[in-house]
Amino acid sequence: MARILVIIPAYNEEATIVSVIADIRAAVPECGIVVVDDGSSDQTAALVREQGEAELLALPFNLGIGGGMQTGYKYAARNGYDIAIQCDADGQHPAGEIMGLVARIEDGTADVVIGSRYVADSNYQPSLVRRIGKSLLSRWINLFIGGGITDTTSGFRAMNRAAIAVVARSYPEDYPEPEVLVILHKHGLKAVEIPVQMRPRQGGVTSIRPHGAAYYMVKVGLAILIDIFRSYAPVGAKQ
Amino acid sequence: MDESNVELVGFYLSHRIGLLAVSVLFMAVVLELVRRSHLKERYALLWLAAASCGLVVGLFPQTVVSFSRAFNFQYLTVFFVSSFLFLLLLVLVFTVVISKLSERNRELAQEVALLAHRVTRLEVKKDGD
Repeated sequence: MARILVIIPAYNEEATIVSVIADIRAAVPECGIVVVDDGSSDQTAALVREQGEAELLALPFNLGIGGGMQTGYKYAARNGYDIAIQCDADGQHPAGEIMGLVARIEDGTADVVIGSRYVADSNYQPSLVRRIGKSLLSRWINLFIGGGITDTTSGFRAMNRAAIAVVARSYPEDYPEPEVLVILHKHGLKAVEIPVQMRPRQGGVTSIRPHGAAYYMVKVGLAILIDIFRSYAPVGAKQ
Repeated sequence: MDESNVELVGFYLSHRIGLLAVSVLFMAVVLELVRRSHLKERYALLWLAAASCGLVVGLFPQTVVSFSRAFNFQYLTVFFVSSFLFLLLLVLVFTVVISKLSERNRELAQEVALLAHRVTRLEVKKDGD
């Protein structure tokens, strides 16, 4: 039986964190759950401790989503987990779909499995502007990763040991999801996506504000171009 | 103003004196900051190099003057342009330094979180014994 770790990065998610953890525990009773508290100023960390179902990694100050996520992957790598799943703390990612992602890792289909909101039978309906932006970004990224991924911004994904080792070393700082695909591709790892029925966010606010969308596009677009030419230390080398 | 001096070296004497005074003063301030450990030697070198340039130009103005004439610039223009380029370089160096520091800062914060978690677990285990 593979050891599975669910990583939940959380920044001021007191409204939803407890029910998210409970849902995951109910859906995947045997897995490890780790919450990375990214310097929250609310009761997020206290609630996780009180509930006692998840391990808590408390960052001393806010690092942003990239630094938080990577902390979880470092934890996965150091504690020898076979599969790591990243899952939002706002309840958008349905715990019932986790084993679907895991199944595709376990049968060796891919090193990374992405829960996609766009594949045929998913019910995700973003606004027009967001749809155009995401579509442009996806096309751009697919140029570099050989195609096949429509939902490049989905933060609901599972990785095997090889992929965990890579992201524990190299993880982008902000808006990391699309860039991570490029980095993993550069390391020769294979990604696939499967359809997932997302739920509306249960509380809290999105980290991507409307006026941040332009920055998002430019930053991620350029960062990917740079990633293509960046040299990475071999996995396994001492940090 | 000593016009014959200008003819001789192409540099106003007042400018030479001003440049020398500022350079010497600047060097003294930088060295004092290093002595008090308010400034690292590594970064002080950049400033000392700049002040040395000022000293050299003040003592041997002919270097800058002949350069300025060759490219049809006033020597003050050359002075300001090179100062500006130096400051640009300095800012670039600083942003590189800041990037490296923020990278290390992130790694440290992550280590703190991972180690704090281990300590808590070890304490719980110890209390259980």
